[in-house]
Amino acid sequence: MTLHRLIPVILLKNGLIVRSQLFRIHQTIGNPLHTIRRLSNWNVDELILLDISTEDFHDMRRDDLQVRYLDNTSIGVLRQVAEISFMPLTVGGRIRSVEDVRARLSVGADKCAINSEAVRSPGLIEAASKAFGSQCVVVSIDALRKKDGSLEVFIDGGKTATGLQPGAWAAECERLGAGEILVNSIDRDGSGWGYDLDLVRQVTDAVSIPVIACGGVGSYEQFPQAIQQAGASAAAAANIFNYFELSYAHAKKACIDSGVAMRPVSLGSRWFPREPAYDVKVEDARIESRLERARTRRFPSMEISATRKVRWCTRCVYPSLSATPMEFDAEGVCMGCRMAEMRVDTPSQEWERRKGILADIMEQASSKTGDRHDCVIGVSGGKDSYFQTHYVKNVLGYNPLLVTYYGNNYTPAGERNLRRMAEVFDVDHIIYTPGVGLLKKLNRLGFIVMGDMNWHNHVGIATLPLRIATQNRIPLVVYGEHGYADLCGQFSMNDFVEWTYRNRLEHFARGYEWNYMVGREGITAAQMAAYQYPSDQEIFELGLRAIYLGNYVPWDGNANANLMREKYGFEFGDLPFERTYRKASNLDDMHENGAHDYLKFVKFGYGRCSDHASKDIRLGTLSRADAVALVRKHDAVRSSDIVRWCEYVGMSEDEFDAIADTFRDSRVWWLADKRWCKQNIWDGG
Amino acid sequence: MTMVTIIDLNTGNLQSVANAFTRVGAEISIARTADAADGAKILVLPGVGAFDRAMTRLNEQRLGPVVRRHVLEKRRPLIGICLGMQLLADRSFEHGEFAGLGLIAGEVVQLEPRPPIYRVPNIGWTTVTARKPTSMFPSGVDGESFYHVHSYHLVCRDAGDVAATFEFGGRPVVTAIERGNIFGMQFHPEKSQDAGLNLLSSLMKHIGSAG
Repeated sequence: MTLHRLIPVILLKNGLIVRSQLFRIHQTIGNPLHTIRRLSNWNVDELILLDISTEDFHDMRRDDLQVRYLDNTSIGVLRQVAEISFMPLTVGGRIRSVEDVRARLSVGADKCAINSEAVRSPGLIEAASKAFGSQCVVVSIDALRKKDGSLEVFIDGGKTATGLQPGAWAAECERLGAGEILVNSIDRDGSGWGYDLDLVRQVTDAVSIPVIACGGVGSYEQFPQAIQQAGASAAAAANIFNYFELSYAHAKKACIDSGVAMRPVSLGSRWFPREPAYDVKVEDARIESRLERARTRRFPSMEISATRKVRWCTRCVYPSLSATPMEFDAEGVCMGCRMAEMRVDTPSQEWERRKGILADIMEQASSKTGDRHDCVIGVSGGKDSYFQTHYVKNVLGYNPLLVTYYGNNYTPAGERNLRRMAEVFDVDHIIYTPGVGLLKKLNRLGFIVMGDMNWHNHVGIATLPLRIATQNRIPLVVYGEHGYADLCGQFSMNDFVEWTYRNRLEHFARGYEWNYMVGREGITAAQMAAYQYPSDQEIFELGLRAIYLGNYVPWDGNANANLMREKYGFEFGDLPFERTYRKASNLDDMHENGAHDYLKFVKFGYGRCSDHASKDIRLGTLSRADAVALVRKHDAVRSSDIVRWCEYVGMSEDEFDAIADTFRDSRVWWLADKRWCKQNIWDGG
Repeated sequence: MTMVTIIDLNTGNLQSVANAFTRVGAEISIARTADAADGAKILVLPGVGAFDRAMTRLNEQRLGPVVRRHVLEKRRPLIGICLGMQLLADRSFEHGEFAGLGLIAGEVVQLEPRPPIYRVPNIGWTTVTARKPTSMFPSGVDGESFYHVHSYHLVCRDAGDVAATFEFGGRPVVTAIERGNIFGMQFHPEKSQDAGLNLLSSLMKHIGSAG
């Protein structure tokens, strides 16, 4: 028999996956290549890729990632996607002609989903199904439930009403030759309330072709409803698959557990390992070409390009071209400000509800027999580490195991803060220190390969707590706040986003997994053990979750720092940082606010001061004018720790600067009279 | 390395098929003309879409005789996938009546829908049952599912050609055939992930060791 399908949908907007709400708000999740590769690794039933871009242009937005687009068009991106997508692939968006269908099929799509154009010229359905067979023509229907409860089909990304009723329109599509219907609810999009089952039922009753339900899923138990209660052949969703670790496997399990006939949960394809397989020759050539550019000082971006136009958020000082997955809305306000607004507006009873959810998670994960710790907390010894430990141990009353990746770059105050944690909190604390020879190699490689000496630190912090949790059979890791959710509003508070391997590989590691370093400078796989993430099978069997405390308790970094100073003697920095005005951040790594952050400025034209000032504007403690003055003072500073770093790894400062310049992002910088120029927030206009 | 020649019928999914054979370690060439297909060691006939368009293309490019010679005279392996398998039949009744390559005795007819459960096109993962020991399924296929997307299916005159079937509306439907050096599958191994790639891999091993 033919089994029901569980289908992840990827919404692609100008080259990046977005989270969608009401078809209007889009937050950037990340690049599709890592995500799709992982879906292949999991043997997912099918993938739907919907391109919701307003123009035919796709960009990764930054050049220091391991993956890149070979060309910027929809077809070019699809070609790359198809190479790593060995599951059935349905592609939608921007399809207006039979030729558009042909182009997509020929680079690897199996089915094409037509939406607005099907309504505008229904002949396209007929022509496409004649040319390629009805089995590859999907009509995508977006319906809105109006105030009076009736349903209407909308097109153009939910903007244009059509007067069509979803069931009748679906039946007409079948008559014209469509082979399948994808039905989505506009008002449920991003809500987490579950499918509009009545809408799905209206469509499944009206046709004899298969129907895929989409829109509104917020929990795994909602998936089987579309099939069992509304007659859909397949259950699909987009957002939820971006929020949680192994979400596809858990959703599949929920369907099978409730009696839906589906293929079994599968983790770890033998044909698609989770860890990327790098082409060593290609990577060697990339590195060599960069070093050659540094030696000859030849740079690609000599002229101002027409597309180069940085904007800044009209409320904070965040730039539109940045290192982070940032989006601006139609009013020019960044998602970081929008989500901060939402957080401030959260009533206290909602925080009480969230604390209740946290209490349940903690209780469920806690050791019932005393054979292990209740949870792991990854700590750097900073203000947030103190707050997390304070909250778990002294507010909630659990017994955490602290785990530190010691990157050998601590400031004196940061070092003292770290070493005191076992004492002031009376908790067990594992401090893992890699060999310094290895660290020097990884510093050097990180800098040369991706312009970031702290790759080892980011990957270490993003791996070790989960690795130790798995080894000790502890099913819960507690992180502080979600960095990008806080800084750039990557997720909504109602998503309760959790830690994922994708996030680690893509954002912490920039696509450079631990195995990338093996064989370079004589590094062996065994030396990289601490950077090797637990397998999906181990994570699934243990039921390991890593949550962000910031989703459950109000979070204010400055206030936390002050509270921790008061309660536990947390020390602020003894010396002010050169590149920011905040004194209590990143004491665990002198380069994080120094050389590492200077490189962010070299790449993207802004630095940590812009991050901190944006956060303080959102907290209401800084005016935008004062923020601009601070940014002007700090962002461009070439910090003095660069001298220490160069000595540490044995590199001259000239060499450092030459290699750094190869990372200047052409979206931001241009060279005029041998000087690097960029737009500035204070330029005006 | 095994050399595989894929015939381009200009009906889509060529790239996916090529990607899959590459993934299981074969070396790929694409044949758009009779000359290009003539020297093939292993021929693959992929294809999605309408039967008559594909046959027209085969005839226009004089590929039909090349395929027949490849199988009947040179005794070399031929793999038909989805529409590519249907093309091997005597005739098809898709939007009319059209002659096929006549390499497998049988006809291609429409699947009968029986909603709400059995919808046509049959899209999705279908559990298949092996009907005889074959090189495609050396360890059997009990409970294994493959990705199907089709509205028509092959009815074989010689039951001995049938390698695997699935159940649709209470009746068995042919989904894989094997007759000597001819292999065919209604499902898409290139889109069936581990199940499909395992199958292609074991088929390539079998063909490699036989030839």
